[in-house]
Amino acid sequence: MLTRIHGGRVVDPTAGRDAIGDVWIEDGRVVAPSERAPDQTIDATGCVVMAGGVEVHSHIAGGNVVMSRLLLPDLYVSESAPNGHPFAHAGGSGSWIGANYARMGYTTAVEPALPPSNALATHLELADIPLLDRGGLAVLGNDDHLLQLLRDGEGKQAVRDLVQQTLAHSRGLGVKCINAGGASAFKDGVLKLSLDDEIPCYGLSTRKIMSALLDAVEEIGVPHPLHVHCNNLGLPGADDSLVATLEAAEGRRIHFAHAQFYAYGVVDPENPMTGGFRSAAERINAAMEEHPNATYDVGQVVFGQTVTISLDILRQFGGRKGAKPKKWVISAGDAEGGGVVPFLYRPRGPVSSLQWAIGLELMLLSSNPERTILTTDHPNGGVFTEYPRIIHLLMDAEERAKEIATLPAIVGERSGLPKIEREYSFSEIAQLTRSGPAKLLGLTDRGHLREGAKADVAIYRDDKDRTAMFSRAKLVLKDGQPIVEDGEVVAWFSGKTLSLDVEADAGMEKRAESYLQDRFGAGLDTFAVPDAAFPENTGTFEDVACRA
Amino acid sequence: MAAWVKGGAADIGAAVEAAADLLAASRVPVLAGLSAEVSALRAAYRLAETLGASLDPVSGPSVYAELGALSAGGAMSTTRAETIGRADVVLIVGNRPWDGELIAEIAAAAPSRGRAAGSERALLSLGGPQNGAIRHVAYAAESGGLAISLGHLRAFAKGHLAGEAAFADLAKRLFAAQYGVIIYDPEEVGELGAEMLQGLIRDLNESTRFFALTLADPFQGRAAVQLSAWTTGQAPRVGFGRHQPEHDSWRFDSARQIAAGEADAALWLASLPAPRPAWLGSLPTIAIVGEGSQEAAGETAEVVITVGVPGQSVGGALWNDRRGVIAYAEASDPSKTQAETETAAGVLTRIRDRLIEKGVSC
Repeated sequence: MLTRIHGGRVVDPTAGRDAIGDVWIEDGRVVAPSERAPDQTIDATGCVVMAGGVEVHSHIAGGNVVMSRLLLPDLYVSESAPNGHPFAHAGGSGSWIGANYARMGYTTAVEPALPPSNALATHLELADIPLLDRGGLAVLGNDDHLLQLLRDGEGKQAVRDLVQQTLAHSRGLGVKCINAGGASAFKDGVLKLSLDDEIPCYGLSTRKIMSALLDAVEEIGVPHPLHVHCNNLGLPGADDSLVATLEAAEGRRIHFAHAQFYAYGVVDPENPMTGGFRSAAERINAAMEEHPNATYDVGQVVFGQTVTISLDILRQFGGRKGAKPKKWVISAGDAEGGGVVPFLYRPRGPVSSLQWAIGLELMLLSSNPERTILTTDHPNGGVFTEYPRIIHLLMDAEERAKEIATLPAIVGERSGLPKIEREYSFSEIAQLTRSGPAKLLGLTDRGHLREGAKADVAIYRDDKDRTAMFSRAKLVLKDGQPIVEDGEVVAWFSGKTLSLDVEADAGMEKRAESYLQDRFGAGLDTFAVPDAAFPENTGTFEDVACRA
Repeated sequence: MAAWVKGGAADIGAAVEAAADLLAASRVPVLAGLSAEVSALRAAYRLAETLGASLDPVSGPSVYAELGALSAGGAMSTTRAETIGRADVVLIVGNRPWDGELIAEIAAAAPSRGRAAGSERALLSLGGPQNGAIRHVAYAAESGGLAISLGHLRAFAKGHLAGEAAFADLAKRLFAAQYGVIIYDPEEVGELGAEMLQGLIRDLNESTRFFALTLADPFQGRAAVQLSAWTTGQAPRVGFGRHQPEHDSWRFDSARQIAAGEADAALWLASLPAPRPAWLGSLPTIAIVGEGSQEAAGETAEVVITVGVPGQSVGGALWNDRRGVIAYAEASDPSKTQAETETAAGVLTRIRDRLIEKGVSC
């Protein structure tokens, strides 16, 4: 069926489009304007037309997400779901996640922490997130098998083969390292780790582990660069960790997760841990300017109760005494494990206000929003449903000023946010939420509206209240089919789980089997993610090709 | 595949129809057992949502002892492989951990990874059988039981009690660990015992690393908890009677609901073995049970449908106790898989489809 979306303001920065125009779609793809009469015309007059939103870093599935629900079951509210949309309003559930992303015009979301040791359950959970295409990043950097290879100096080929074997078995879309070596060090009594500190028992450092993974990702041709969660998240002076890690990449492609949590410069160098922090947003952005090989997502903080979820068990253990309410979970898993710590970003509290300001400052100082992806590191900085409000604050300096006026003076004293007058344009919002994340993930078929793109399209009523505008899309098409109308879900189906098309090296597979049998008394089959495990979702997975 | 309706052999279509009729006529149905593969659990949740039914896994007592302590104070845990690879001090609480091969496996190896590698592993027990089969240092439980003993142990560890008591010695041994693990069965120690143990572990972590390794129930309870959490945002037991998922361990206790006369129909799901519920036969029931099981007979319930046994005659995603994760189990004996073998998920989905066709909706 040929469909013409007519008369809307089409915003596609990848094609230089920001003007009234048409978008044509057929058979689930964007096509060139046609001479044929369309079978259907969608009137987008008064609307903004963008590609479907793409999420690069949101904790939407996995054992730690499950644990957060068990630890804090009353974080979300459940309501009755419409017939035919099972569990769509079950607060915090996979269905709720899919429905709420879709209502905002998002059509793809990636879970950044797919533990290879628990890959099947994570994928089963991802497959139960409807309406979106989704994917997961395989986490490496603390597993004994990898650390052994590095300790024994086995060379790049062996590391590459192990990473590839892990990607193949866990069906990951990319690779992430989380405080590389930190979980292992924590199990051996370490409570603080920096880039060159020694990981006990292995003689390695975060730098060495990360460097090996950076090489492996390039050699395999993973489209998404290594996704890095640095040391010392959330501590005063964490900006040093991010900048040092950026330099340690030595020009190799690298993506930094939730940079806001690292943009904390020390106020008092004599008392770095007790003197508080100030915004390092300028420093982080200046470093990014100097390193075009790097990107980051923001990890914007929003005020209110949340629960933090991270495989960085060293850091989560360190933060346990700030838990609110006072309960927390640390799992010392087979590699990272996980830490779940409830947290309240106190409305108008001085620390949370400064964190809030730093995230916005990062985005507003960015010279290239495509390298500055909007995330809240859901749910760590706050729930993803706050994106429309964040977009509003980016697009409307007056609205931002009103909010800043309600906050403590520390926002002006320790961040540059109040002095920034910039307002994001629709094109820049599209870079921040569409083209940037799609390029970052290497998903060339989405994030834009050029010919050949998937017909994932979000149509918003142009409204000066940007919060309202981006909260409830007028129409969302997924693969050309309407899934949301007037902010409500109107169809219910499963998208695809995107996984990298890689095969494990036979030699490494044999070696991994032997290692796993020795360590677990169980082999690779217990780590596998077979199609047969998804009986109701035939065709759950969609291959993504490696870089040539 | 075999099926019975009111004791008489039936084909699958007739059995599904009878099951749908039975459920459609009920006002407060319960889905119980849930000893099954993940796909079947998933289908059961969807059926319950359509029906407005509640769900209650047979693993409830174990699940609740653990979840109660978890939601009250959190937890610090580790895995079986990390225990075997890293632990230099292992405290075994109660009798249940001594069943099976876990303790023998731990005793047979020394720590091989981490800072305790190469050291001798100290095995300690509290309130165990003290049968001497495996070399360890045994501490008897106090007369008040395990939970009281654990309270006293924690008091000695915190310095709130002092003296030459055995528990003072045990507390010292725990603090000497480099990577310590406490193994217990939540159901055996109870919610209060589990909470006390987790408190002790938190205290120990002020100066060293210490974690819990808790025993899973044998009825897929941990898989059910995960599926329930990602499906509804809540742990089981869950009810949909008011059109939205509500977690309530008391209200949706199927045995209580049936004994109180609240429930008027039940569906018993056990594609894997599970203890036969005492209430079977006391209300209109559908039994979806593994082929070859004792319950695979016409007299078990009004409607009985046999299904493939995951890991044996059919494949399925199951809780893997050794790995402590959900893993896929291929059919171990595909020769037993007959062309007409039904999966539990398939049967539940067909029942739900028929209910939707009949216009049933909560």
